[in-house]
Amino acid sequence: MLRIGAALLFAASVAAAAPYVPKDDATVLERLPGRRSDPAIAELRQLRAALAAAPKNADAATRLAQRYFDLANAEGDPRYVGYAEAALRPWPGETAPAEVLFTRGLLRQYRHDFAGALKDFDLALAREPRHLGSHAWRAAIFMVQADYRAAARECAALGEIASELMSTGCLAYVEATTGKTRDAYVRLAAALERRAGASAETRLWTLTRLAEMAWRLGDTALAERQFGEALKLGVTDNFLLAAYADFLLEQGRPKEVVALLQDWVRSDTLLLRLAIAEQRLKLPAAQPHIQALGERFAAASLRGERLHMGEEARFLLDLKGDARAALAVALDNWKEQREPRDALVVLEAAAAARDAKAAAPVLQWLDETRFESERMRRAAAALR
Amino acid sequence: MRILFFLALLAAAPSYAHKPSDSYLTLHADGRTLRGQWDIALRDLEYAVGLDADGDGAITWGELKAKQAEVDAYVLARVALRADGGECRLRPAEHLVDDHSDGAYAVLRFAAECPAESFKTVEVEYSLFFDLDPTHRGLLRVERGGDTTTGILSPERPRFEVSAEGRSKLRQFADYVREGVWHIWIGFDHILFLVSLLLPSVFVFANKQWSPAARFRDTFWDVFKVATSFTVAHSITLSLAALSVIVLPSRLVESTIALSVVLAALNNIWPVVHGRRWAVAFGFGLVHGFGFASVLADLGLPRDTLLLALVGFNVGVELGQLAIISVFLPIAYVIRATWAYRRVVFVGGSAAIVLIAATWLVERAFDVKLY
Repeated sequence: MLRIGAALLFAASVAAAAPYVPKDDATVLERLPGRRSDPAIAELRQLRAALAAAPKNADAATRLAQRYFDLANAEGDPRYVGYAEAALRPWPGETAPAEVLFTRGLLRQYRHDFAGALKDFDLALAREPRHLGSHAWRAAIFMVQADYRAAARECAALGEIASELMSTGCLAYVEATTGKTRDAYVRLAAALERRAGASAETRLWTLTRLAEMAWRLGDTALAERQFGEALKLGVTDNFLLAAYADFLLEQGRPKEVVALLQDWVRSDTLLLRLAIAEQRLKLPAAQPHIQALGERFAAASLRGERLHMGEEARFLLDLKGDARAALAVALDNWKEQREPRDALVVLEAAAAARDAKAAAPVLQWLDETRFESERMRRAAAALR
Repeated sequence: MRILFFLALLAAAPSYAHKPSDSYLTLHADGRTLRGQWDIALRDLEYAVGLDADGDGAITWGELKAKQAEVDAYVLARVALRADGGECRLRPAEHLVDDHSDGAYAVLRFAAECPAESFKTVEVEYSLFFDLDPTHRGLLRVERGGDTTTGILSPERPRFEVSAEGRSKLRQFADYVREGVWHIWIGFDHILFLVSLLLPSVFVFANKQWSPAARFRDTFWDVFKVATSFTVAHSITLSLAALSVIVLPSRLVESTIALSVVLAALNNIWPVVHGRRWAVAFGFGLVHGFGFASVLADLGLPRDTLLLALVGFNVGVELGQLAIISVFLPIAYVIRATWAYRRVVFVGGSAAIVLIAATWLVERAFDVKLY
């Protein structure tokens, strides 16, 4: 009966195909990110015009591409990354200005071409050794690949060119993943304290990290306080919402998750958490949301790209109850992405599927990093 | 520049409200005619052609209609279809809208007029949006006579050639029959349900207990009634589910199927229903039909040959059932009066079936793995 899940996915993707003729000319078919007169859209138009006037101008091209990249992150729409790639098309090779190479690397990592991205950042650093962004992004990719020594090297390089909070944050992020969470917390909290004038985005990032560390250390009251402060900054951030929702779900507070994520069905990561909360509360909204997620995963796999396998594994495990399929996807994901949450879904899927052997690489990772988290420890214990 | 670094670590968790840009190009070919349907995201058309005439950030049906000719010209210039090498002329036939999981799409149905009277191959050359968005993909689906071929068109591989000749109807029918037989053969829950109902067929119920039937005719008719009502029932729900008239959650269906096996086997040990077992077969047959339907959906239901698929699959299921009955019945009839049949096969077998099916029931209903 394993095929049932696949059959449903298939049926879901077929069921979506029912073209119609709208009744009324005034029927709104699609909402765009903004009005033509919105300042952000107007700015984008200007950047496009500037590039159209000089398509080989590296400055104009990187400015537009980076703007698109920010939009892709803010709105969760990968189309913008495609537009950004088009802007960089005149520079396909290894010889290009550092900023072009760096931007190309950004776009590559977005599409999970980590090897290509690392190479681009390397090329950028060869041209401009103190290129801050390239070091920072190399650190981020090494973290995703669980190469903590390399990540720490990049953090050290940042120490000479970036602010204290930034390099401390970088190093704390590495340490908190490798069994030194308490030290990392203390140092990062102190660094934030010393830098009162930090921007809202910086504070948001730091507070989210601190909340996660406190949570892992089992101090849920402190974690709650840090999450609360981060939310109070009023900067909408997909990652913060996802992390806080995970926290609430683990604390058995699904009602608050529903309230928090009600309006976030457009984001796959947040819709996933919303659906999990709704299912726990046995709300009628759970079913259509689960179906919508299934359709999105089915549509993505038609394209032959699976960029959010971690989410898909969670979806299969928590919402579809298909532990075996979840384990297969989680293990595929682990080959590419090795962050704590990627490890956790492997362990939990393996426990549900009673396949401890499959989880061996993740258990080894856990032994090596001595990652501290009660939930991870429990999941691993169930397998040993 | 500072924000970049913090973004860096955030972006480790990409969240896609959307997927990258795709269009869905479906072609129907039967060796003589060629027609197609092309679903293109309004977001993409807005970027390429500009649809939001009043600039209010919303695209209405009226705005799309006003730009229809321009859209047709733009997109049709970016796909070429060739039948046996001869360029086909594409003529828009119908304009619709569809909602995909990531937003609204314009749906363009078109006919292709090809120079060749009949043709063996169709070639697609695709370049839509590749200049604006190198990550765009054309998801191609070619359907011909129940066969479907899919392909992904990209800037690196913009060309795709497929045979325009599908399998014959007879071949397709035979394939579905085979799938039906195969499914009964590997679908232990269906086999166990059937066996549970068949086990007492060689008995008659009298004086509150089962005793061996005196005449084969009675047994035969009993089996005939049970098997026929099971067949009729699951054919009904299989058709309804395959046509999407009724859709039930799979967990409910699978749990109820397991429950049906438990009850049917329990009834052999502690008889509650004996005279009207055909009615039980009918009632639970309805549920088993939903189970079959999910398998059929798994095979990928062709729209134009839906009936053929349904009938073929059903015939296959019946053939598989008949095979089981024709092996089981003569043997059971011959040994029906022996202690071995009455105690070991009938009671022991039923008890074993109860145990197995109860395990399934718990697993399916509570979503757990018991062994």
